[in-house]
Amino acid sequence: MVWRSIASRLSLGVLAGSALVLAVACGALFQRVRQQTLQQSHSEAAALANEAGNRIEQRLARVADTTQTLAAVVAPRPAEAEVLLRRALARNEDLSGLAAVFTPDDTPSLASPFLSRQDDGTLVQRDMRKDPTRYWETNWFLAGLACTQGCWQRHFYSKSRKRELVDYAVAITRDGHPIGLINADVSLDWLNGILKALAKPAGAYAFVLDDSGAYLAHDDPAMVGQRGAPSLLQALAQHEASHVRLTVAPHPQAEGQPVWIYFTPIEGTRWRFGLAMPENSIYVGVRQAFAYTMALGLLALVALAMITLAVVRRTLAPLGTLASHAEQVARGALAFELPPARRPDEVGRLTQAFDHMRTELALHIAELTRNAREQQRLASELDIAQQIQTALLPGQHYLDAHCESFELHALLRPARAVGGDLYSYFMLDERRFCVMVGDVSDKGIPAALFMARTITLAKALAPRAGSPRQLLSMLNRELCRNNESCMFVSLWCGMLDTYTGELVMASAGHEPPALCDAEGARLLELETGAALGLDEEAGYPSHTLRLQPGQTLLMYTDGITEATDTRQDMFGTQRMLDCLARLPTRTASGLADGLLAEVDRFAADAGQADDITVLALSWHHALDDRNAPMLDLTIRASISDVFDTLERCDASLRAQGVATDTREDIRLVLEELMVNMVQHGQAHAAGDSISLHMRLGGDAVLVELHHDGQPFDPLQAPLPELPGDLADRDEIGGLGIHLVRAMANELIYSHDEQGNHLQLRFLHPARTEHDHDAHPEH
Amino acid sequence: MTLTLSTESASSERATLYLHGRLDAQTFGELDLAMLDLLPRIAEGGTLVLDLSALEYISSAGLRSIAKIRKSMRAHGGHTLLLNPQPQVRKVFEIVKAVPVNEVFTSARELDAYLDNIQRRIMDGDDQEP
Repeated sequence: MVWRSIASRLSLGVLAGSALVLAVACGALFQRVRQQTLQQSHSEAAALANEAGNRIEQRLARVADTTQTLAAVVAPRPAEAEVLLRRALARNEDLSGLAAVFTPDDTPSLASPFLSRQDDGTLVQRDMRKDPTRYWETNWFLAGLACTQGCWQRHFYSKSRKRELVDYAVAITRDGHPIGLINADVSLDWLNGILKALAKPAGAYAFVLDDSGAYLAHDDPAMVGQRGAPSLLQALAQHEASHVRLTVAPHPQAEGQPVWIYFTPIEGTRWRFGLAMPENSIYVGVRQAFAYTMALGLLALVALAMITLAVVRRTLAPLGTLASHAEQVARGALAFELPPARRPDEVGRLTQAFDHMRTELALHIAELTRNAREQQRLASELDIAQQIQTALLPGQHYLDAHCESFELHALLRPARAVGGDLYSYFMLDERRFCVMVGDVSDKGIPAALFMARTITLAKALAPRAGSPRQLLSMLNRELCRNNESCMFVSLWCGMLDTYTGELVMASAGHEPPALCDAEGARLLELETGAALGLDEEAGYPSHTLRLQPGQTLLMYTDGITEATDTRQDMFGTQRMLDCLARLPTRTASGLADGLLAEVDRFAADAGQADDITVLALSWHHALDDRNAPMLDLTIRASISDVFDTLERCDASLRAQGVATDTREDIRLVLEELMVNMVQHGQAHAAGDSISLHMRLGGDAVLVELHHDGQPFDPLQAPLPELPGDLADRDEIGGLGIHLVRAMANELIYSHDEQGNHLQLRFLHPARTEHDHDAHPEH
Repeated sequence: MTLTLSTESASSERATLYLHGRLDAQTFGELDLAMLDLLPRIAEGGTLVLDLSALEYISSAGLRSIAKIRKSMRAHGGHTLLLNPQPQVRKVFEIVKAVPVNEVFTSARELDAYLDNIQRRIMDGDDQEP
């Protein structure tokens, strides 16, 4: 939470940085001051130690002086020793006892008096010569004899006087020869008193060590008589300096803290005065002063941080508002009040820029929304366009319903939502099946529209065209009309005779189809015309192929052959033929699916660049006998032949059990048409043969008429005027065609280079509801 | 079967032509020939009855012949009445609206009643007829 505010971060940063600087500066200063304090402490402690040493020296010097004087005085007058001792003892309070002892050899008669002061201050005297122990044989005596100038002996604890004592011995010499000695017992109580009287800093303690390292005196009475700690003694032995630092204090009172010890030798003895100061107590003042300074400094820093916080908060307050507004902007809300720009500083400029940005953003969003809506509309339109385009294409699979003599499988996959590839198929009439595959130049919506135009036109024109070459020519003329955008379509068109497997085809610049059978696959290199939509005069050569059972004709668009992989290699015709030959299946769907899958594998990573269409047409078998034509004959165009034919038709129909009224309808229609052909043939001296095919379909009689005469489309003849009385008509013709149109259930006319073709269909009455008009009651 | 014709003329006022078989592009010539012979024998304003009871079939060529006959009769102020057309013929007539319905009769009795009616009208008000 705190870190999210710049003001908090800034003030905390200031606080931390200043604290660091303060700590470093204080630390350096502390070290410096500590050095100085240590120096000062050294000199002060040394002075103190010297002072204490001097005082002790003075007291000891007095004892030594007294004793030496006594030795000098006693030497000539040994007998007065006791009096002298008593006088000296009375004068010097420090003396606990005095003895004048003589060697028994030199002065056999002399007493060796020993005077000692009792606790109540009275003096007790005894003659040591009478002691059971022979003092002249003891070490202290023998050592004392050598001390002509006087020497301090080791201290000891007197059991009789219950106190710590130290002896000072001076030899009594006569003629340069020691005859005895004066031994002074010095109480060490005053020594402790001196130590206590010293003006020591708090925590410090003083002590006196003798030459053997034992405490002569100590601020802690319990330590007196004990030996000093080894570390202390070792330091003492090694360092001649007046002060030494011990990391661990030798005294339990100091609790193991480092300690400084200052020494002073006491002249005339081999004692040392020591002053121990714990390091803590040296620095305690400095520490306190610095702690105080640090605390003050920190307080000041906290105040500084608070001030920084307040100032930065106040300065950056508009930024917070801007930030929350920016969040609103992110949610899409653009209408809000901005804080006033108080000063032209960064914040003020930012506020202005924010305001500007908001305005621009609102405009931009509006623009984007408009564009998005437009895009959405386009997308939905494209979606509908795709549905419409899909609806233009017939189903994927077609199996001849009557006799399964052929099968067709088509696949179309546009590269975009809509595409320019097309295919179509439909029964042209009872017998002929029309199939086409095309590819419009370009892709996308223009191509889709052109495709729709092509496919619709083709379907509309096919029944009239009758043959692929005718259909392509008609289509070409239609597509050339108003083709400002110069779009064109390559189209392959075939018409399959579903009885015989004869395929008539023509190509307008389209890829050659591939013929697949058990032996493999090969291209049918056809001579093609120009693509549709370019040259109004273009012609389209016709080719005929009779499909054998088991053969499949495969039509495709360049989406197959020009599919490219990631290395820009094209799939190509050869690869396609290899693939078709290799595929294990020979069915239309198997070949089409297999080829497409192979192309997909080939171009897997490159993606589909162009629309892809594959259409496979498999021929299974020719029509069986049941569906063979009843009549298939060609006659000379003459009235008598026509009537012979009519008789034959009638006989055949009767033999097939066709009802009388249907037979009469058929006869009438055929008579009218053929008589017409004869008359036209005669008029123009062109046609002289008529062929007729008649077949019984499932529910109808199917008749085809071909005449090699002038084009004449009975469907185009105008409706004759029928005033209700033939006698009122002025013209004489037109009735026959009218009858034909009324009687035939279906009539398809086409004309090609071979002449006129008429296909007629009459419903078989046995399978259809009766037309009541045809059966007037008798 | 082809066309066979026979005529019955009770008077010059009224003649009946019987048609047997098929009247088509092959046989209409025979009817035309027969009419060349028959028509002059019918008086002005007379009535020709075409009995179609035995006519099995008619095509547009036959229709044209019948139209010619009706035109000729009309030119002479006469009437052409059709008697008892068979299904195929009736159907063809209906498709091309060959003859007004009131001039087609399903039986000889009906025809006679009609003719008598005309006769009476002529007798009652001769001048009313054109």
